[in-house]
Amino acid sequence: MEYGPPPLFNQGVSARARLAFFSFLAVLLIIIDARVNALDTIRIGVGVMLYYPQRALLWPRDALEGAGRYLATVGSLTRENSRLRESATERAAQLLQDEQLRTENARLRQLAGLRERTGAKSQAVQVLYEPRDRFTHRLVIDRGSSDGLRAGNPVIDEQGVVGQVTRVFPMMAEVTVLTERDQSIPVEVVRNGLRCVAFGGSEPGTLELRYLAANADVSSGDAVVTSGLDGLYPAGLPVGTIGRVERDVKDQFARVIVHPTASVDANTALVVLQLTAAPLPAPSREDPRNEHPGRRSARR
Amino acid sequence: MKLWPLRRANGDVAAPVAAVTRGQPHKQVLRPVSPVFIWTSLAASLALDLLPWGRTPLVPDFLALALVFWNVHQPRRVGMGAAFLFGLLMDVHDGALFGEHALAYTLLSYGAIALHRRIQWFPVTSQSLYVLPLLLLAQIASAAVRLWVGSASNNWWIGLTESAVGALLWPLVTWILLAPQRRPISRDETRPL
Repeated sequence: MEYGPPPLFNQGVSARARLAFFSFLAVLLIIIDARVNALDTIRIGVGVMLYYPQRALLWPRDALEGAGRYLATVGSLTRENSRLRESATERAAQLLQDEQLRTENARLRQLAGLRERTGAKSQAVQVLYEPRDRFTHRLVIDRGSSDGLRAGNPVIDEQGVVGQVTRVFPMMAEVTVLTERDQSIPVEVVRNGLRCVAFGGSEPGTLELRYLAANADVSSGDAVVTSGLDGLYPAGLPVGTIGRVERDVKDQFARVIVHPTASVDANTALVVLQLTAAPLPAPSREDPRNEHPGRRSARR
Repeated sequence: MKLWPLRRANGDVAAPVAAVTRGQPHKQVLRPVSPVFIWTSLAASLALDLLPWGRTPLVPDFLALALVFWNVHQPRRVGMGAAFLFGLLMDVHDGALFGEHALAYTLLSYGAIALHRRIQWFPVTSQSLYVLPLLLLAQIASAAVRLWVGSASNNWWIGLTESAVGALLWPLVTWILLAPQRRPISRDETRPL
């Protein structure tokens, strides 16, 4: 020991070797997470570990909000109360009519021999926080897989579709909002039943209807609702209104901008819909040639 | 937490760890750092990041700042391994890709460790100029990962202003995190030094 080299410069593994090791590990994790989705168990484990600190750290904000609400003036409360009563009476009439129409519709569908529309169980949720992520717009809600939520469940507010549950933890879930670039939702135009797919728009806070022919019958102001063709979203939920239609001569498709009806930014109470019927089976990935054995054998 | 002065069994006072804040007007011998304080401060900065900031602009990444600070001042205690693990925690909280913050913090930590001898020669305000590119490097690394995977919005670069805020906060962070080491040793009028 006395004759060994002085430990003055002994710093263990060199910084560059560590950098190489940890960045390689990180890149490996990124690739596995992005391409294979094999790390969900680790993520859920860490998520459960972080859950209680996260909830505890929401407390200061909630306490502040609570204090603010406690100090709300009588004037603002009476105003809000009268507004809510107005909207409740407005909706009561609608609701009565709705009930009648629903039973009538069910009877007619039965008579016509159509398949039952998928019903949906709804669950009210609270938005816990928005992740500090500059790249994608998401919300974290206070219910998770232990409450029966699954990835793919649609999320709505009182005005329309907000987004979709994209990742589930036992007690929390992440919701990706509609206007996100990767999100897509099958919709139809109410005025003429034209079906298409809405994607998150290139402008922030908007949607885009893609693959619509340049001469498609859409105009600004048309309401857009879900078509329910994917088996994930129930049909007829308001999605947005068409804001602008650009028809370029040299382009095959029209560029249609849709403004969402739901307020994607300022929501604390949302509803998650859980469809009771199983979603349609995914299209088989088999080689399409296998579906025509006759032709195949004929060719041989 | 150990209290100064430590007395050995034979009654000698243990020699102080001479970490001097160089290049500053008032040179001062710092007391040895307590590992408990290092990890508490890192946990506290993680807690600051876990607060529901949402999409509030100009909120810096406190954890990145604390990691840079400890990598610069105690590179042998807080290294890239710690940065990597804290990065994984942030990935889960932000719902980002697994490994995105881990990569960013590893690069940040390497930069801080590579520069740690140089940075300490400058006064604290000038040190901010070294911290700014480090924080930017971390943010650009995670943006690059997003662009590579293909899920970045078009205006991601607005977030880079957070790094500037972080660099401006550097003197404050230094002041707070060095405070326990600056505490005067128990006053002893009879001691010659």
